[in-house]
Amino acid sequence: MSALTLELRTEPGQRLDLSPLTPAALAGMKPKGIEAIAIGTVRETLTVGDVFRLKGNEAAKLRFAGTNDTCDFIGQGLSQGEIVVDGDAGAYLGSKMRAGIISVSGSAGALAGASMRGGRIDIARDAGEKAGGVAVGEAHGMRGGRLLIGGKAGALLGEKMRRGLIIGGGGAGDYAGARMIAGTILLRGRIGRWAGYGLRRGSLIVDKQPKDLLPTFGDCGVLEFTWLRLLDKELKATDGRFRLGSRARRLVGDMAVLGKGEMLILA
Amino acid sequence: MAKLKIKGVEIIETFAEAFPMVGTRIIITAPTQKWAMIAAQTMTGFATSVIACGAEAGIERVLPPDETLDGRPGVAVLIFAMETNKLQVQLRNRVGQCVLTSPGSACYAGLEGEKKLKLGSSLRFFGDGWQMSKVIGGRRFWRIPVMDGEFVCEQTTGLTKKAVGGGNLLVLGRSHRAVLSASERAVKAIKDVPDVITPFPGGIVRSGSKVGSKYKGQIASTNDAYCPTLKAAVNTALPPYVEAVMEIVIDGLSAPAIAKAMRAGIYAIIKGGAGEGITHITAGNYGGNLGPHHFHLKEIIA
Repeated sequence: MSALTLELRTEPGQRLDLSPLTPAALAGMKPKGIEAIAIGTVRETLTVGDVFRLKGNEAAKLRFAGTNDTCDFIGQGLSQGEIVVDGDAGAYLGSKMRAGIISVSGSAGALAGASMRGGRIDIARDAGEKAGGVAVGEAHGMRGGRLLIGGKAGALLGEKMRRGLIIGGGGAGDYAGARMIAGTILLRGRIGRWAGYGLRRGSLIVDKQPKDLLPTFGDCGVLEFTWLRLLDKELKATDGRFRLGSRARRLVGDMAVLGKGEMLILA
Repeated sequence: MAKLKIKGVEIIETFAEAFPMVGTRIIITAPTQKWAMIAAQTMTGFATSVIACGAEAGIERVLPPDETLDGRPGVAVLIFAMETNKLQVQLRNRVGQCVLTSPGSACYAGLEGEKKLKLGSSLRFFGDGWQMSKVIGGRRFWRIPVMDGEFVCEQTTGLTKKAVGGGNLLVLGRSHRAVLSASERAVKAIKDVPDVITPFPGGIVRSGSKVGSKYKGQIASTNDAYCPTLKAAVNTALPPYVEAVMEIVIDGLSAPAIAKAMRAGIYAIIKGGAGEGITHITAGNYGGNLGPHHFHLKEIIA
């Protein structure tokens, strides 16, 4: 038994909807059956067999290879198992997923982990806009699980997020944590303008003070936070790269809305 | 039948009769070991017996920083009661008045379990709307703003219904000093046993009780059979040469933990042998009809 691998062997000529290809859906299917699954998004029909080469048979660990940014909806609604992407992913990577693990060696497009409820997404490089944000048809953004972005995250990171943890290793675009309802976003590196715009509750933790702070955030000074120790320990167990310490400058906001959120600037 | 004697100390062939209880463990941390201990001692104060304290509680052990969730020094506390709702009230009141109030403290669940007791889930209201919840590693914590920063308190802690209360040992000896020193040794040995506490002052009770009284409304009264001043007046259990009796009461999260603690206690008591002045080790029971847990001393030391 080896991991079921789908290798992109040709340029599809249209965007792909790979949402039918999850470990649960492919379990026990014969290669012929998998190759017949429709993944096209335009009038011209397209099946897995038209663009992918199949190898291996263990669907619990599904592997995509050679994928590019047109491969949308990878792991959408994932409820179990693991998906490994060797290459880039398109939009909606792992959106609405509930459990399981997705890891991407390249970058992901817009709306990675949008409205996800649980599980883990690890993106080695960059993520497009609205990562952990609101998927179409959903009222809220991410509401559980963990989204790790090794590189830069696009604008509106974690928009309307309710729960869960987003870790960004290479900064973020404008409006990081916009309209956040709760949850935690941890960012290292340069972040764009107006972080925490419309922040109701939740924590935006940054390693240095952003250049453009909203005027609707109020300074509480540098303080000791026991809960950062809890988060630090959890990070140590899952990802060794981010060290928090326990002291941070606390800015409360966004005072233009509920104002019970916080931006913690690590001291 | 030959009497069972170890180092000249007679182990009476009887059993400790114990009762089912509900219990939990919580972990208290603070910036220093001293303040974790102060919070723990305060919340386990006046918790010797459910007869009038509402709960039986004690310090299980000290936790070094690398064993606690937040990496600060901590103390593990066990608390027991006869019913879940009574335990819930005691836990809320004690943590609310004694841990929340203690400088720099935080409070976490120390026991897993299907059934849960509320911890931060009710204390969060102290935050008056400014409390924040954080889910970290699948566990929910409340951050309650207080004057020295934030009180961090886990949402719930696990409940066990398999706890046992009232495991006990009675130490008989020729002098008060000998009995006290042997009992102290037993309490110290029991401290090293996990999952148990000795809720009485310093772990020792000098006023063991019997059920009932000659007075109406008095549910427990002095155990006259073991009172040295009444040897000739009542149906005494004491030989003429016994000057003092002390009891060590043990509450634990499980019956095997109580048995282990009683064993550790017995061996600590007889360490000095009869030469030290200890004459007998026995245990308290009510004939076996009241409590479902019977810890036979003979089996325990085997």
